[in-house]
Amino acid sequence: MLDTVLALLSFSALGVLAKMADVKRARPSAINLLLYSSSLGLILLITFAQHGGMPASPLFVKAVALPFGACSAIAILALQSALRFGNISTTWLAINLSAAIPTVGSIIFYHEQLGTRKTCSLLLIVVALLLLWKDRKMSDMASENTNLSESRTQ
Amino acid sequence: MTSDTSRWLRLMLIAFVTNGLGPFGLKVLAANHFGEYEPEYLIFWYIGGLVFAAAAFAFGKRYLSRSELLFGSAMGFCSLGGQFFTGEALTAGIPGYVAFPITTGGSLFLVALAGILLFKERVGPYGLAGLAVGILALVILSI
Repeated sequence: MLDTVLALLSFSALGVLAKMADVKRARPSAINLLLYSSSLGLILLITFAQHGGMPASPLFVKAVALPFGACSAIAILALQSALRFGNISTTWLAINLSAAIPTVGSIIFYHEQLGTRKTCSLLLIVVALLLLWKDRKMSDMASENTNLSESRTQ
Repeated sequence: MTSDTSRWLRLMLIAFVTNGLGPFGLKVLAANHFGEYEPEYLIFWYIGGLVFAAAAFAFGKRYLSRSELLFGSAMGFCSLGGQFFTGEALTAGIPGYVAFPITTGGSLFLVALAGILLFKERVGPYGLAGLAVGILALVILSI
């Protein structure tokens, strides 16, 4: 169970550090570069310690891994940039809700069965995204009203 | 809609789609009977990420501040740490229906809590409802 708690704390720290980096005005491209360099350095260190070198892998594995890894780096860059314009609480939720995409992809491309549980979850994800959008719209309206009343006072 | 909201929505749309696509490679791997190469896959997955990150960085000013070094590296360790410890938990016999809801739902809850308490973020009633529904959705999806 300790491993699960450590995993939970690691993923949570990732979100908190992303916000702290934004507060400190760290550039998203620099954060992205360092995130991938340090992760890669660490994973290579672990692999070399376990296997004494780089294990061989088929070309197909590399051909799949490289573009999907690049997709993930685009996501981190967009997330870190989005923090300039939004809350970490709602931004972090929105990015995590993307778990729906591999599920939908598996249904479309690999004809996986869509059971009751997955259907409920996908519907709830849509509801959550709509609620986040509504929240953002409401906060926009509130700030516009504040600006309007401030300009009238002046 | 303010320009900040429109930028946030555009960036979130990109992050939503690409972050969802990132782990889909594992499914492609498993479906083509290459599931045993998952650790090697992860190395090349990070290389793919690093190539993009380096290209994006090269377009801007090529220096790194102390806070960027600190936060970027710490985030890298947390990213890999999260994946490593989830793998260790599963290897140690913790069922996926226990480990995944805790790591996904729990981290969402903790980050939202940190946002509200540490960074004094204001989340409206719709946002709070969205957080509750989103956590529930991800817990159900990962069971």
